[in-house]
Amino acid sequence: MNYNTKHIVLITVFYLLQIIWFNHILLFGKYMPVVFLLPVLWLPLEKNEVTNLLLAFIYGISIDLVSNTGGVFAATSVTIVYLRKIYFFMVKNPMQDIEKFQINKIGFVQRAPYYLTFIFLGQIFVFLFESFHFPLVWHKLPYILVNTLITFIFFTLIDLLFLSTDKQ
Amino acid sequence: MIKLIRFLTAKKSFVLFILLEITSIILIINTHNYAQTKTHSLQTTISGIINSKLSVIENHFKLKEYNKQLLKQNAELLNKWVQPETQKSPLLKEQYGFIPAFVISNQYQFSHNTILINKGRIDGIQPDMGIIAPNGIAGIVQKTSKHFAKALSILNTVTKINVALKNSNYTGFMRWEGQDPNIFSVIDMPVNAQIKVGDTIVTSGVSNIFPKNIPIGKIIDFNTVSGRKSYNIKIQSFTDMSNLGPVYIIKNIYKKEADSLMQDK
Repeated sequence: MNYNTKHIVLITVFYLLQIIWFNHILLFGKYMPVVFLLPVLWLPLEKNEVTNLLLAFIYGISIDLVSNTGGVFAATSVTIVYLRKIYFFMVKNPMQDIEKFQINKIGFVQRAPYYLTFIFLGQIFVFLFESFHFPLVWHKLPYILVNTLITFIFFTLIDLLFLSTDKQ
Repeated sequence: MIKLIRFLTAKKSFVLFILLEITSIILIINTHNYAQTKTHSLQTTISGIINSKLSVIENHFKLKEYNKQLLKQNAELLNKWVQPETQKSPLLKEQYGFIPAFVISNQYQFSHNTILINKGRIDGIQPDMGIIAPNGIAGIVQKTSKHFAKALSILNTVTKINVALKNSNYTGFMRWEGQDPNIFSVIDMPVNAQIKVGDTIVTSGVSNIFPKNIPIGKIIDFNTVSGRKSYNIKIQSFTDMSNLGPVYIIKNIYKKEADSLMQDK
C-alpha cells in the first residue's frame, strides 16, 4: 500500500471509531479518550506538508460534521500537524534528518513523549477552540491531565498492536 | 505583486495553515452564533442525517434501558393525572404541550455542549422550547432546521436555568461549571430558605420555558456566600446527561403572550 492509500485507510478507520464509539463513551463517568488524534500524529513529516495539512483538515471537518462542533476538530488537527514539525526540531537527534521522519522509524521510548505532548496539547486546543475562553481551559486542567493519561493508554495499546518499529 | 507571489509560494504550508485555521474558526463562530445562519442550518441538517443513521445502531443496544426510563416516567405521569395540581386552574392545565422526540447526537465532553434531536420546524419545534428527559430537564432548543433541532444542553456553561427549592417559592439560578457532567451549581438562592443535603431542586416555572416542579437534582453540598445573603449549592442531576434517548419538547402555548408583557416597559 502506498502512502496515500495507507493513510486514507487509517484515517477512515479512526474516523469511524471516533464517531461510532469514542464520541459516545464516558470512562469513570466523565473521561472521553481523544483517539481521533492518533492518525494525525502518524502522518509522516517527509511528505509534502500541504498534503498533510489538507488531509488533517478534511479529517477534522468530517468529525465536526457528525459531532456538530463547527470546526473545532478541524482547527485542532491542523494545528497539531503544524506543531509536530516544531516539536521535532526541538527534540531531534542531531544525526536524524527531520524531513525523513516516520513514526515507525523511531522506538516506542521516543514515541511515548511525542504522544503525551500532543494528546495534552490536542485537548487544550479542543477546549480552547470550542470555548475561546482561556480561564475555562485552566479550570479543565485536572480533567485534561487525567484524560491525557487515559488516552495515552489507548494509544500505547493501538501502537503496540499495529505499529511495528523498523530499525534504520 | 511578484514579491508577494514568491513569499506565498515559499511559505505555502504556513499560508495554507493560516487559511485552514481561519476557515475552521469561522465555522466555530457560526456554530456559537445564536442567530440562525445558513451555514449552521446546513450543518445541523447534515449532522442530523448522519447521526439519525448512527443512532439506529446505538439505540438498538439501549432499548431496554430506554423502556425502563419511559415506564418510570409513565407511572409518574399517571400519578399526576390522578391527582393533578394543575386541575385547580384550567389555564395552567392547558398551558403546556409535549412533543415526543429522540436525541440523535449528544455532546458532554465540551464546555458548550449541544444536543441534536430528530424533530424540527416541520414538527412545530421552535427556539426557546424546553427539553425534558424521563428523569428531569435536559436542555433548551437553540436552532431548528426543517427536520432537526439543535439545543443547548444543560451541560453548557452559558445555559442558566431558573430553579426553586421543592415545595417553596425560593428561587435561584442553576448553571454548569464545566467539570463533572452530573454536578451543577445553584446560585442566588436566598439564605432565608431552609435547605439541607438531600433536598430536591425543581424548575421554578418563572422563565416560561419549563413548567413548574420538574425535578432537576438533589442537594449534595451547600455554603453561604460571604458578603451576600445567598447560598452556593452543589446539586447532583437526576438525569444522566451522558445517556439521553427519548425526550419531550415543551411547548408553552402562552409563551409569546407572557414574553411580550415582560418586554413591555
